[in-house]
Amino acid sequence: MPLILHGLTPIHWVVAGFGIAAITLALLFVANRRLGISTGLEDVCSFVLPAPYFTRDAVVRARHWRMPFIAGLVLGGFLSAVLGGGFAPTWDLGMFDQVIGFGHAGKLTWMFAGGLFIGFGTRLAGGCTSGHGIFGLSNFEFPSLVSTLSFMAAGIVTTQLVYRVIF
Amino acid sequence: MALLYLAFGAVFGFLLSRSGAADYNYIQSMFLFTSFQLYGIIGTAVVLTAPGIWLIKRYGRTMLGRPISIELKPQHRGNIAGGVLFGIGWSMCGMCPGPIFVNIGEGKIYAIAALAGALTGAGLFGAIYTRVQGFFRLPRLAVGTGDG
Repeated sequence: MPLILHGLTPIHWVVAGFGIAAITLALLFVANRRLGISTGLEDVCSFVLPAPYFTRDAVVRARHWRMPFIAGLVLGGFLSAVLGGGFAPTWDLGMFDQVIGFGHAGKLTWMFAGGLFIGFGTRLAGGCTSGHGIFGLSNFEFPSLVSTLSFMAAGIVTTQLVYRVIF
Repeated sequence: MALLYLAFGAVFGFLLSRSGAADYNYIQSMFLFTSFQLYGIIGTAVVLTAPGIWLIKRYGRTMLGRPISIELKPQHRGNIAGGVLFGIGWSMCGMCPGPIFVNIGEGKIYAIAALAGALTGAGLFGAIYTRVQGFFRLPRLAVGTGDG
């Protein structure tokens, strides 16, 4: 199955898994950093929201590495587009367009709603696919196993409902 | 150091972009059990990261000789409740937090709405932390739910 991005063929999962492991271990070995992306959402919030949750030390002190790391994610996506056929802003959403449809406004609403679940859920869970799923599982942390099973199960149920029942 | 983190993020983002981990169709195919790709990626990453972490902890120091200290994530009811909410969002957007940023970089316009939602959701959670703390048995505010 080609990627939505320029119809590119994805790299093999072994290569991708190896690369992700290499970055995770490099962050730890070079800088004693625990991979985790959803906390970065709190770092962004901490610039504008005065709530005590965002002004606590753990959040503010981590900005200096999480913000450039997140900026790097955007840069990596940008380079991938440029090197893979050029940067061309798009509304293309694969299966969603074929099965669910919706116009641009509907798509933005759907994405915003999904984003609310992602932001609230990852922070309540204390991590996302990277912090719980990759690092936590690899470090044999029980809360990470519980969270990973929870978000995998909920994702499976939601997608099955959306694509096999509702639409 | 900021440039180093930027570079790490860029390589990580490029991998997510080109592997299908930041691709709506691949995320749905994972949840529909019609593609092995994402299971293979996550599985390989964990199988390789686990012994790596073990070795680094055994060595006990970073490359620059500073002590390794991994803060473990606390256990609380939010692990399940938050995980379920996040799973719903991951399915809806076809993106987890990292790929939201990657998709913005790729030029996927709708990913900006996903980011706006995610920041609003995280902001809302932080704003009501002390009110849901008891119900979800969350750690004290200074600790938070777990960084990562």
